[in-house]
Amino acid sequence: MMEAIGFYSLAIFLIYFAFKTITVPNPIHSALYLVLTMIGLGAAFFNLGAQFIAGVQMIVYAGAVMVLFVMVLMLFDLKAELRSFSRGLFSGGLKVMAAALLAGLAIGAANSSVAILETQDQAKPPMDITRQLGILLYTKYLYAFEALGILLLVVAVGVVAVSRIKGGTHAQH
Amino acid sequence: MLSTEALLHISLWHYLALSGILFSFGMIAVLMRRNVIVMLMGIELMLNAVNLSFVAFSKESGNLNGHIMVFFVMTIAAAEAGVGLALAVAIYKKFHEVNIRFFEHLRG
Amino acid sequence: MNHPLLILTLLLAPVLGFLFNGFRFRTQNNRVAGSVATFAAFVSFLCSFKLYLDLLRRPEESRVFSARFFDWINVGDLHVPFGFAVDQVSAVMILVITGVGTLIHLFSVGYMSHDARPAKYFAYLNLFLFNMLVLVLGDNLLITFVGWEGVGLCSYLLIGFWFTDEQKAAAGMKAFVTNRIGDAGFLIGIFILFFTFGTVNYADLAHMLPATPDMSWTGPLTVATLCLFLGATGKSAQIPLYVWLPDAMAGPTPVSALIHAATMVTAGVYLFVRMSGVLIMAPHTMHVIAWVGALTAFVAATIGVTQWDIKKILAYSTVSQLGYMFLAVGVGAFSAAQFHLMTHAFFKALMFLGSGSVIHAMHEEQDVRKMGGLRKYLPITHTTFVLGWLAIIGIPPFAGFFSKDEILWQAFSSPYGSKALWLIGAMTAAITAFYMTRLMALTFWGKSRFGHDVHPHESPPSMTAPLIILGVLSVIGGWIGIPHVIAEVLPGHPANIFEHWLEPVIAKLPEGHGDAAIEWSLMGISVALAGLSAWFAYDSYVVHEGRTKGIARSFGKFYEAVANKYYVDEFYSAWIITPLVEGAQALWLYIDVNFIDRATYLAGDLVNGMASFAKTVQNGKTQSYALYMALGVVVVMTFVLI
Repeated sequence: MMEAIGFYSLAIFLIYFAFKTITVPNPIHSALYLVLTMIGLGAAFFNLGAQFIAGVQMIVYAGAVMVLFVMVLMLFDLKAELRSFSRGLFSGGLKVMAAALLAGLAIGAANSSVAILETQDQAKPPMDITRQLGILLYTKYLYAFEALGILLLVVAVGVVAVSRIKGGTHAQH
Repeated sequence: MLSTEALLHISLWHYLALSGILFSFGMIAVLMRRNVIVMLMGIELMLNAVNLSFVAFSKESGNLNGHIMVFFVMTIAAAEAGVGLALAVAIYKKFHEVNIRFFEHLRG
Repeated sequence: MNHPLLILTLLLAPVLGFLFNGFRFRTQNNRVAGSVATFAAFVSFLCSFKLYLDLLRRPEESRVFSARFFDWINVGDLHVPFGFAVDQVSAVMILVITGVGTLIHLFSVGYMSHDARPAKYFAYLNLFLFNMLVLVLGDNLLITFVGWEGVGLCSYLLIGFWFTDEQKAAAGMKAFVTNRIGDAGFLIGIFILFFTFGTVNYADLAHMLPATPDMSWTGPLTVATLCLFLGATGKSAQIPLYVWLPDAMAGPTPVSALIHAATMVTAGVYLFVRMSGVLIMAPHTMHVIAWVGALTAFVAATIGVTQWDIKKILAYSTVSQLGYMFLAVGVGAFSAAQFHLMTHAFFKALMFLGSGSVIHAMHEEQDVRKMGGLRKYLPITHTTFVLGWLAIIGIPPFAGFFSKDEILWQAFSSPYGSKALWLIGAMTAAITAFYMTRLMALTFWGKSRFGHDVHPHESPPSMTAPLIILGVLSVIGGWIGIPHVIAEVLPGHPANIFEHWLEPVIAKLPEGHGDAAIEWSLMGISVALAGLSAWFAYDSYVVHEGRTKGIARSFGKFYEAVANKYYVDEFYSAWIITPLVEGAQALWLYIDVNFIDRATYLAGDLVNGMASFAKTVQNGKTQSYALYMALGVVVVMTFVLI
């Protein structure tokens, strides 16, 4: 019972915040609502027993990524835009329909395939999750892990390259 | 399927439904909002929804593969957000606009 | 001696000459080009002579050498090897072609010594020789057709040799196009024969003939041979396709001698002599051939009387003599036709080369009104020309007498002949004597009508030697075909060697009516007619000059018509050529431009329109593209899951 109440209230919050994210005209408000959505998602992860993931979500997403978003937004001189949504009722309806269909189909697909999964809701792992994750990462998924490291390096260099000013930040123009 | 019993007992399907709704919200943001940054935010929302479903499946099947997947998705999403924002900054510096209705150069 | 090798050498020597001169066609060295070409022709002559000697050694029934080099066509029921056969008829032809050909090559060395492109000329001459040999030696109709087309091509190339002059180039085209019309008939004839008999090989055709002649106008044999005759009228200049031959005199004179007197134009006659067995089975065609030949002979002779260009006179004379040959074919006298072909080659080539010598001496002047009295200046040319003149008007014992009289006798006495045909032939002989004597009188005898700045001189030995050789042949060439009635009164009773030689391969007609007495009297009539005409012409042109002008005026309009070649060219131009050209233009305008071009533009516009419509998908908006992707994924997933 408590579980249900907890889940449903979390769900309502998430849906409300996500809806607000995509509909408010002001992008800064949008960013704020997204932060709230992510925090809510962190709570959901925690509910699902993924503590490590919940923590990482808070730190990386809500803490780093969204801060980055807000910083960039503040670089722009934005007021609430006119015409923040794309035009056309028909195309708008079409887009909503497409999104809904896609999501629905995905869940329907899951419906037909999940039945073969065996459920082990009783067997709790003896060790804590972090440790288990660590062991998995460094043994079974080591290659992907290292590749990820390289990806991050490349991204860091690339971002600096894309946004540099010719001659450095102290150059005279 | 929609009996009180099913509704009250929180199972995989509830989380999947929630994930689906969040995903479609994110997709609508990408398709319908004109600000580049808001579109990027929609992408982040989509990725988060997918993360939720991964973790739900992971709980359902009992192993940690879903967690690993979430780990990777998060990392890559963060990297991608960084690059996307850098590009948005570059676009703004050049055009002083981040509304995509001004960027129809590939028309043809 | 290996006969296929001999045949191969015979054929390839001119090809090698052609290649040698062809690759060096820009050279100005006349001697080298001419020597190579003449040597190639001479090699062919030696091979032909050797083949002839070898044929003599064989018994009569098996006098044929054949060589099959490779399988040319193998499609369905049609099996055509690249094969050649030397038998009695083709032996005569290759001797004539290579022998007279070598002499003409030799003459050309002197004649073309001032030309800008001698190597090209000799290359074409050798190519012509090769094609003519292929035509004659082929053992089936298709190989003959290859040679047929090849000689037509060389004729075009050589007539239009000085193509920078538009008239000469046009003459070449006229020859080729007229030939082509005939070739269409030839091909249809081949098709019908193949369709009826399943083979195009001469030997096989001879064995497959039905026992009774084809008596209907629409039977396969009649139609096929009529179509073949259309081809022959094109190649051998008979009515209605003779109009190219007088214009062909635009080419160099040795070309006229070789191609338009001795060899190419005789291809039609040769074809029918070859297919004598087939032709006999189509009596209607034979009647048609005989009458067309006789009429052509007569009409051409009348035109020859009015011409002033020395080469045109000889051209119409050729058409007329070819008419005689076809008359012989039409009445079934095949060996007589072949005999006349041979003697005509001798004296006509002689006269053409002689006229070439005259033209060379008169510095390219060809109008006989500006000549006269040349016998003092060109003794050798004059003497040899006299021999040719006596031969053509049919004075015994020169060559033309025997062959022409044989034809006239057969026209009278053969089952396919008739007195009417003989009468036309005899009248033509009289007219022939008249205009040939006129030619002699205007050119060589009488007073000189050229100005004092013209100094004619005799030609060099390279040009007079062939004249002398041909002159000798014009005298003795007829002695191998002495008819029976004369042979009986001669000591030693020489047999008709020529007819005897050709007998195994030529179809025989049933014996005609007529006896020796009639033959003697006909011979006497034709000799008397020839003599009288010659005397009348001599009198009119040398003794009483001016009489002819009076006669021409009294004929008035009729004379004008004859002098203008009966307006045949104008008739063709107005009734055939102009309608065709205008019809083609109309078709072009109303169908091609209006209809077909519009259809293609429509196709283009259609594609353009569809593209413009499809282009609207690419509106440059990122979100549209994302929407399309999402919809695509939805559709695919729907298909996968449902």
